[in-house]
Amino acid sequence: MLVASKGVLVQCDPSIKALIIQIDSQSPGIILEELDDTHLLIQQDKVEIVKNELNKLLSKNIYDPFEDDSRM
Amino acid sequence: MSSNLFKTTVNEYLESLPKTVQSKLYEAPATCLSIYRLLSPMAKFYIMSMIFNEKPVNLRDLNKWCKPSSRKLEYEALKRLKALHLVEYDNKGSHIRLHSNFRKNFRDCLTGTQKPNAFGSISLTNDKHKVDIKFLDKFASQKWENILHFMVGTESTTTPSKSVLSLLQLGGLMENKNGLSITNSGFQFLLQDVNAQIWTLLLQYLNLTQDLNMDPVDVLNFIFILGSLELGKSYSVSSLSETQRSMLADLRDYGLVYQRSDTSGRFYPTRLATTLTSDSAGLKTPSMAVEQALGEEAEETAQERNIQESIIIETNFKVYAYTNSPLEIAILNLFVHLRTRFANMVCGQITRESIRNALYNGITADQIIKFLDSHAHPQMKLLAKERLDKKIEFDTSNNINTAGGAPQSKNENVISQHKLEIIPPNVLDQIKLWQLELDRIQTFEGYLFKDLANQQEYDILSNYASELGVLIWSDKVKKKFFVTKDGMSQVADFANRKLKR
Repeated sequence: MLVASKGVLVQCDPSIKALIIQIDSQSPGIILEELDDTHLLIQQDKVEIVKNELNKLLSKNIYDPFEDDSRM
Repeated sequence: MSSNLFKTTVNEYLESLPKTVQSKLYEAPATCLSIYRLLSPMAKFYIMSMIFNEKPVNLRDLNKWCKPSSRKLEYEALKRLKALHLVEYDNKGSHIRLHSNFRKNFRDCLTGTQKPNAFGSISLTNDKHKVDIKFLDKFASQKWENILHFMVGTESTTTPSKSVLSLLQLGGLMENKNGLSITNSGFQFLLQDVNAQIWTLLLQYLNLTQDLNMDPVDVLNFIFILGSLELGKSYSVSSLSETQRSMLADLRDYGLVYQRSDTSGRFYPTRLATTLTSDSAGLKTPSMAVEQALGEEAEETAQERNIQESIIIETNFKVYAYTNSPLEIAILNLFVHLRTRFANMVCGQITRESIRNALYNGITADQIIKFLDSHAHPQMKLLAKERLDKKIEFDTSNNINTAGGAPQSKNENVISQHKLEIIPPNVLDQIKLWQLELDRIQTFEGYLFKDLANQQEYDILSNYASELGVLIWSDKVKKKFFVTKDGMSQVADFANRKLKR
């Protein structure tokens, strides 16, 4: 029987995919299905949450030259 | 790119109108012509093929007009035409025909048999106070610049009229917090080209007119007629309807038309108006026209030339702008971390944060790059030209190609492969990288098809979806594929038909 399930397809690098899986393990119910290395199917209403979490995780590793300036 | 942006918004507005309003619109030949101009080439082709055909066209024949590989274009063109109700299906859904009013009026346009005043009536009497094109250009750019300057809060600008102010607020371009101030979307608005800006305001104006009990059909017709008037000719007011006459005053405030006084019996469309619906790139674009108008002024004073071309970008991301125009400084402030300001220049630095701020506000990397490119200092351009010449010379003398790609034995294309790089390449790449970094994930709403019975079923369905251009992802081994939200109903219909057999 043919099934069509509604969701949002996410296309990203494998590294980002790993991060999303990590987010999902902390607050389950985001990922519906892992499709391949670069594609995931996630809940429609969780897209914004994923984006925000990703931004938080990624901005941890960024160097900002102006932070040094303001400290001086 | 921005001109595409505006076209979609005008088209979206037209599509959102109820069918009865659309049908009324098609009664005016000028509107038919303007709407036709706004369509995609494929949609134009369909209209042209059907316009002199009295009988409805069989859908099966229609499908043969384009190659299977271009199904996507066909699907999009027909979708547009259907949304505008330009095409109608018969009861069985097997034949297709053009909207009868549209067909008749558009045909009249093409063969020149429309009513004499369909495109406005030219004033026959001589104007005692005749104005020339140069004057009109100046008038239009003055009015329009005034609005833009007011938005960024340039001192010494006169406040635009009340109707303009309410439009700016309604459109969310400015907001009232102890006096008017510009919003984020207002800044985006500033970066668009003039044509897009005018359409944004006109669409707001249309929304406003509905509250004022003005007939939107009348208003739209007049806007479209303006788009087909001739620059430098005067047109008589008397042939306009009551609604259209009351619009004249507002349009004068935007610089779209020139009228010597309220009671004057004639009006002149300006370049801003006559280029509203022209889309061919060969013609002079309105932004070019206005820039040219500015250029003429620039020759008069050296100061104003600086406003046009004043930005220097170094490879260390430092930006120097020789300008004292608040408009330009405000725009620069969108994506540059400005640090010092002098009487005739500002300097600042492009940083990851400053670019990200701009990107958050919806400004794209391409817009930033285009802005920097077009406002680069003449010295930067000179330098870039010299570098390019050197590269080409080096290549030709050594008979190699350093422009990238595999070395070629033929050096015919060498010159075309090098591009003029005004902005330092490392800065350019970095800005693009920052944008990419922001959207590390791409999301698509839609449906995942799975659990297909066999390979053949998968092949049929996924091929159909990719022909329509709605297939985003597919996996042959797992027999799953993903289609967009828009394409879902079509693919589902197709699946039902195919799988029942």
